[in-house]
Amino acid sequence: MNLDPDEELGLIVETARRFAEQEMLPRMREAERNRQVAPEVRRAFDETGLADLELPEGVGGAALGSVARVLVNEELGAADPGAALALDRIGPALYPFLEMAIDPVGSLSTIRGNGERILLVTESDGARIVRNDVVRGTVPWVPADRADAIVVLTREGAGLVRQGFSIDPVRGAGLRAAGAGTLRFDEAPLLDSAFRNAREAADRALARARLHVASLLLGVMRAACDFSRDYAQERQAFGRPIAHHQALAFLITDMQMALDGARLLVHEAAWRLDAGLPATAAAASAHAECVDASRSIGPNAVQILGGHGFMADYPVEKHMREARALGLLLGGFDAAVEAAGRSFCETEHPLEIGLGGAL
Amino acid sequence: MDFNLDEETRSALEALRKWGREVVRPVGLEADRLSRPIPVDDPYFERCLLRGDGRTRWQPHADARSTRSRSVLTQLLLAEEFAYWDRGVMIANPGPGLPEASVIALGTEEQKERFLGPFVEPDRPRWACFAMTEPGAGSDAAAIQTRATKDGDGWILNGAKCFIGSASRSDWILVQATLDPSKGRAAQRAFFVEQGTEGLGPFKIEKKMGLKAYESSSFSLENVRVPASHLLGGETRRERSAGFKAAMSTFNAGRPVIAANAVGIGRAALDEAIRFAREQDLLGDPRVRDRIEAMTRKIRMARLVCLRAGQLADERRPNIVEASMSKALAAQVAQEAASQALELLGSTGGRGDHLIEKLYRDAKAMDIVEGTGQIQRMIIARQLVSLPR
Repeated sequence: MNLDPDEELGLIVETARRFAEQEMLPRMREAERNRQVAPEVRRAFDETGLADLELPEGVGGAALGSVARVLVNEELGAADPGAALALDRIGPALYPFLEMAIDPVGSLSTIRGNGERILLVTESDGARIVRNDVVRGTVPWVPADRADAIVVLTREGAGLVRQGFSIDPVRGAGLRAAGAGTLRFDEAPLLDSAFRNAREAADRALARARLHVASLLLGVMRAACDFSRDYAQERQAFGRPIAHHQALAFLITDMQMALDGARLLVHEAAWRLDAGLPATAAAASAHAECVDASRSIGPNAVQILGGHGFMADYPVEKHMREARALGLLLGGFDAAVEAAGRSFCETEHPLEIGLGGAL
Repeated sequence: MDFNLDEETRSALEALRKWGREVVRPVGLEADRLSRPIPVDDPYFERCLLRGDGRTRWQPHADARSTRSRSVLTQLLLAEEFAYWDRGVMIANPGPGLPEASVIALGTEEQKERFLGPFVEPDRPRWACFAMTEPGAGSDAAAIQTRATKDGDGWILNGAKCFIGSASRSDWILVQATLDPSKGRAAQRAFFVEQGTEGLGPFKIEKKMGLKAYESSSFSLENVRVPASHLLGGETRRERSAGFKAAMSTFNAGRPVIAANAVGIGRAALDEAIRFAREQDLLGDPRVRDRIEAMTRKIRMARLVCLRAGQLADERRPNIVEASMSKALAAQVAQEAASQALELLGSTGGRGDHLIEKLYRDAKAMDIVEGTGQIQRMIIARQLVSLPR
């Protein structure tokens, strides 16, 4: 057993970290204000190849798995999760393509080749598939101003929509670097779809999407923890650093514990996916824990900075908003808890050690 | 990254699971019902010996690093599994217990031979224990008052110890004492005190809220005389704070084990909650499912944090933060899991005869022994934000 990421992924993670710190972090406010990332940042990102980590080799990808994705996403999310969503044009919409045969006409190659922006929405978000060939419904918020195509994922399968939808820009609570809009389907026809015997594959696609979002959350939480902790060691009150008052010292400790624990859940679930083991409950649970942890880490990071934390001069107010916005994607905490809870209750001993040879 | 278990660990877990289901759980339930520790002459302890328990991992005629031991990761998984069936019974088990690690690390060859030797192939169930806690010094281990005074070629010990596991049945007790209370940790030393030594005792077996299967004793030391050879590490290992390091090395190794125990208790509460909910046809209720999901998620997380601390220990990498995190987190998670499970039972839990009710009482100790959750947070904060001592 080894809980550490493989060393061979170290270089990829280092690339992601360097890009995030040098290109994304300095321009996070600008990207938020402009509701898009600068073209030069996008070009630099494309050169890193980080968007292609999980793409099949046949369409120019590295065919790496979920572990690589969550490690990279944590780095990108620590700098700017909105920009991370914007830069990765296909993003979590990739997973139905990978897990299900919804690509009979080579849509994925076309999408990648044309640099199209594609979004993933689920039933929990408000999209409804009728008769397996038409999509209806409204998704009140997606982190995008525009999209070339939408992948709609349900518990039974998934399908691709290229027309019959519109996105009306809205202000957005967070992740504005990716844009923000209300997505409306108007009897949108499904082009490529897979619903027959696709439930298990749909579950795995959703699991991968959950970890995609959860790992961005890890990044935001890490940034919030790191910034507020550093601040607390510099800021003086009552003659000593505020971090040396036990109330704050313990708060900082609990924030770090929550982050480290959530990260391990994400890593284990990602490993399970890559190992081909049952992972839908583990991924849903990891997603739920990240949302849960972010709901305390975000506001507490602001709390540590006090009045300064409330101001846009410091990044923690952005961390707090963006963590909360990320936590609303894919049906948010409640959908994740519902999915994991149903699965756990189907077994007598959900945590018995050694079931299937793994934890 | 690899969360697979090796074959040896899996088979050890399988054997322990069978032992736990058939023997440990019933013994623990009976001890709880009768509200007393498992008696010294209980056949359970003989069965432990037959199973291979109660032995030291120290091997005679081998260097200090050559011990019969599994990886820390495997030990943690086994500690979780044992506690799943009954943590109190686990602690009641015979063997050299807590002080073993200190003796192996710091003891002289003569001390290892004399004090661990009888545990190599024990002729009967034997125990040893470590005595740090005092009525006036719990979390603040530097404040112990038990005095060690040089007396010719030996030492005189005076003081009182409390809440010491298996003390009255131990062959020897490793007693932490101070040469000078005003000098804090630097003046602490550890002494072997053999059972029957004049001035040791009487032992008061404490009445406890939970974990009743093992004995927790309080006792006094009144002019207890031990020879110089009973100073852990001998007279030549008098370097500054060596005695305290002996104690702390035990605690460092112990935190993830306690965390694993807590995970086991939490897991038992979870399984019992699911069983009860299924029997009562409650699993269709989303509130019940949400509760079970939260319990499962938090316990899984605590287990991973615990194993992470264990892996670092296996790799001999610093694990101060991770060890304390595992302890702080798992204890909290276990208590919450047992409480949530009790909530699910409703008034059935109020009868006082359900396993979950016992687990609720047992779990509390996990946030107290070997450093409370608050102490763990202080240790972590020293690393994270340089919290002053």
